[in-house]
Amino acid sequence: MTRLYLNPLPVRIWHWINATGFVALIVTGVQIRYVGLIGLMSFETAVDLHNWIGFVVIGNYFIWLLFYLSTDKVKAYHPDLNPRKYFRETFRQILYYGAGIFKGAPNPHHPNPYNKFNPLQRMMYQIVMLLIVPLQFVTGLLLWDVKRFAGAVELLGGVRVVDTVHVLIFIFFAFFIFVHVYLGTLGHTATAHFKAMFTGYEDMEEEPGS
Amino acid sequence: MNTSPKVLVVDDDEVVGRSFDRVLTQKGYAVSTALSGPEALNEISGKDFDVVFTDIKMPGMDGFEVTKRIKEKCPWTPVVIVTGYGTAANEATAEVLGVSGFVRKPLTPEMIEGITLKALHEKEAGEAAPQAAEAAVEPRPEVAETSVWKTIAGITKNTALLLAAPFVGLVYAVSLPFVGLGMLAWFGGRAVVRRYRSG
Repeated sequence: MTRLYLNPLPVRIWHWINATGFVALIVTGVQIRYVGLIGLMSFETAVDLHNWIGFVVIGNYFIWLLFYLSTDKVKAYHPDLNPRKYFRETFRQILYYGAGIFKGAPNPHHPNPYNKFNPLQRMMYQIVMLLIVPLQFVTGLLLWDVKRFAGAVELLGGVRVVDTVHVLIFIFFAFFIFVHVYLGTLGHTATAHFKAMFTGYEDMEEEPGS
Repeated sequence: MNTSPKVLVVDDDEVVGRSFDRVLTQKGYAVSTALSGPEALNEISGKDFDVVFTDIKMPGMDGFEVTKRIKEKCPWTPVVIVTGYGTAANEATAEVLGVSGFVRKPLTPEMIEGITLKALHEKEAGEAAPQAAEAAVEPRPEVAETSVWKTIAGITKNTALLLAAPFVGLVYAVSLPFVGLGMLAWFGGRAVVRRYRSG
């Protein structure tokens, strides 16, 4: 069996802290938003927990960022600047997810540490990790202390605008987590990708004649 | 098809295989390990490897026999001897068998990467002459000097691409349905035209 070391230790540590943090942020966020409907904890406790976990997740993000900035594995997040190649590979991947996977066809993407995401994952993670997550941190930070950041809040259109952006991204992440877990089951076995995120090693599908 | 260079490490000491695995998988290689000669030959019969590393002293079948069998089956596959028994007699035997390198344990990560790269380059260049692999890992001053600039340029490029990545990703995400519909229209239109022309 051929194995590839796809997920280095800092990435695994970041991933699981991030996953736990995001679930906790969603739960406390729902409690804050729907205070009359849900009674998991008091409003004050939910706010305190949400703030503290938020700072942990922000700090954790910088572990991820510093790791990737210090290694050539950052190439996994680089954009493909050849649109022709990008769209060809993307549609191939869409065909696989839409049809090939149900017929047992091989995954057209073969990962390596420098290209571990398929084109769809790469596009999604570029947008999520480098745009949406930082945007959520900024809006969260502004809402954490509205008085202190009053100038910035006003500049962005007021508390209502900042809060709406924060909640919309929160809804996106709540759905994203379910999709992320489902896609995690689409390895060569249902648990292969999950194991890889614990051990770092991904078992590679052997192809005839390879 | 998996494009990662495939490396096979044959050593009855699991630690050696794990060391190669740890160093080379991080660099994008696909590493397989075998604990004995027969296991290695079994691996070789199933797929092509870009380079094979083998120990000499192993129970059952020694590294020379493994090398000989591999060379009989796949003469183009570079074989590198990795041994703790680096005697002149062993080195001479290895040369006769046409190995691509003869290195002595213990190996540093840099040596592992260096001898792998050298063996792969030799394979690409089609060179058959066996050489001692240690020479490949000797640092040269001019290489070190240019590598500093290369590192700075690499970091700058990496950061710029990382900053551009979400925006390029957004452009692709937005244009994806339009490109898809355009492709459908193009291929559909071509099919209709072809059908119309054929009668």
